[in-house]
Amino acid sequence: MLAALSLLTLLLLSLAQITARNLFHTGLPVADALTRYLVLYVAMLGAVIATEGDRHIKIDIATTLLPRLAKLLHRPFQILSGIACALLSRAAWHFWREEWQYAASGEQWIALLEIILPVGFALLAIHFLILGIGRERRKNPR
Amino acid sequence: MTLLATLLLILAATLGMPLFVALGMGGLLATAAQQLDSAILIVEMNRLATSPNLVAIPLFTLAGVTMAAGGAPQRLIRVFNAMFGWLPGGLAIVALTSCAFFTAFSGASGVTILALGGLLYPMLTSVGYGERFSLGLITSSGSIGLLFPPSLPILLYAIVAGVSIDRLFLAGLLPGVLLLVLLSIYSIYSGTHAKLQHHPFTWRGLGRALREGVWDLLMPVGVVAGIVSGTVTAGEAAACTAAYVLLLDAVIHRNITTARQIYTILKDTCVLVGSILIILGVAMGLTNLLIDAQIPMHLLATLQARIDSPLQFLLLLNLFLLVVGFMMDIFSAIVVVVPLILPLAKHYGVDPVHLGIIFLANLEIGYVHPPMGINLFLSSQRFNKPILQVFRATLPFLAIMLIWLLIITYIPVITLWWQ
Repeated sequence: MLAALSLLTLLLLSLAQITARNLFHTGLPVADALTRYLVLYVAMLGAVIATEGDRHIKIDIATTLLPRLAKLLHRPFQILSGIACALLSRAAWHFWREEWQYAASGEQWIALLEIILPVGFALLAIHFLILGIGRERRKNPR
Repeated sequence: MTLLATLLLILAATLGMPLFVALGMGGLLATAAQQLDSAILIVEMNRLATSPNLVAIPLFTLAGVTMAAGGAPQRLIRVFNAMFGWLPGGLAIVALTSCAFFTAFSGASGVTILALGGLLYPMLTSVGYGERFSLGLITSSGSIGLLFPPSLPILLYAIVAGVSIDRLFLAGLLPGVLLLVLLSIYSIYSGTHAKLQHHPFTWRGLGRALREGVWDLLMPVGVVAGIVSGTVTAGEAAACTAAYVLLLDAVIHRNITTARQIYTILKDTCVLVGSILIILGVAMGLTNLLIDAQIPMHLLATLQARIDSPLQFLLLLNLFLLVVGFMMDIFSAIVVVVPLILPLAKHYGVDPVHLGIIFLANLEIGYVHPPMGINLFLSSQRFNKPILQVFRATLPFLAIMLIWLLIITYIPVITLWWQ
């Protein structure tokens, strides 16, 4: 939901910028930075949805040639992915703390936007771990 | 130790671990090995947000997903059928052009086989094309639009390699058309040998098809004109295209009307964009570490000892990329491999724009190259044919594509005529 909303905002903001530039000959500097960060939001939240539906890009050799092995390894890989995302989230958290501390006074809102990086990786970690450890979920088409 | 870890990661990736996780772990291990703060990986990822053209990726993807959902495939087939259907081998040309057109927008060519192939295959067999020809045609058509603007792989290459997008768009035009022409000639040749029903050309039929499809056809014209003339940036063109397609399908064709449909489209776009960009983000950290560790320089040193002419380099590159192409999908291949080979190509005096076209052409062929080309599996699944039959059916098309690859590799003028 949040991801779809970010994408829609992204579209509307970009359109608003074009209109502003061509009709009123003014740029919207805030909107410019905002659209660029919204791409990160769409990407991170989209990746979370991709995790949920197991739609991440993989090298498909094993799934086509050795389907049984691939199935066997599915859960361990989910757990491993969860751990990796947790570590990346920790790294992102360190990064974000620095950014927040040293942000120039006018640019603190940008630093605030960057919070999606640690939060996104944390969400990814949680999703992977739930899928890796939790019980087989019934497919509920949403 | 590092070597062992790297090998394990590659093994895990080939066995089905999400690629971004493998790259991310690689990055984490590399920072740990060099006793660096892992936060530098995130610094690189955050740098994504400073790239002004990146906005184009989610918005063009949105346009592509909307087109697929809004019935553009059917409209395109109708128009091209009215234009070319009367030629000998006409329907095959219809298939080629509509697939190329659609792939330019949808980017990931798997979608083309699923969305258009399902419509075209029965049409082809019903007018008398052989099953083998039809199967091969559809399977290889799934990736032939990749060089036409505004395809996502071109955008991604431009961003990763730091080449300007309008130059790449221009460079892709002729090679793309050349492939279409070569494949069309083969189709006409096969078409005249098979006993086919022809459907006659009528201006009224064309007019009726055009009235429905003209708005779709105008889109790439607008995009290319806008970007190449410098009126709009790639990101702005993407925003206009997405808005245009949404408006077209919601107001004029009335295929997308409920909020639920729009929500599904937005969500599907997010998943596509997310799964591509997270790889890009994580890979940027890793490739920067590799470049800092001078890995490309070492590669270059090894190469220099054996290879001295650009031609030899390009030949080796072609072989290497064909292998990459049937193992990795096109987006991850661009993200992972381009930063590593770009310095090598520069050393041998290969133009980065030319390199981009060769790169994408190789990966395009990788889609239909046995044993692992993804299109082969998609089409075997979609049309319920044994995989070996699909291999055999695509062979003549594959041969033409390989000849085409050699032509565009060794005659750079086709790519760089406008310079």
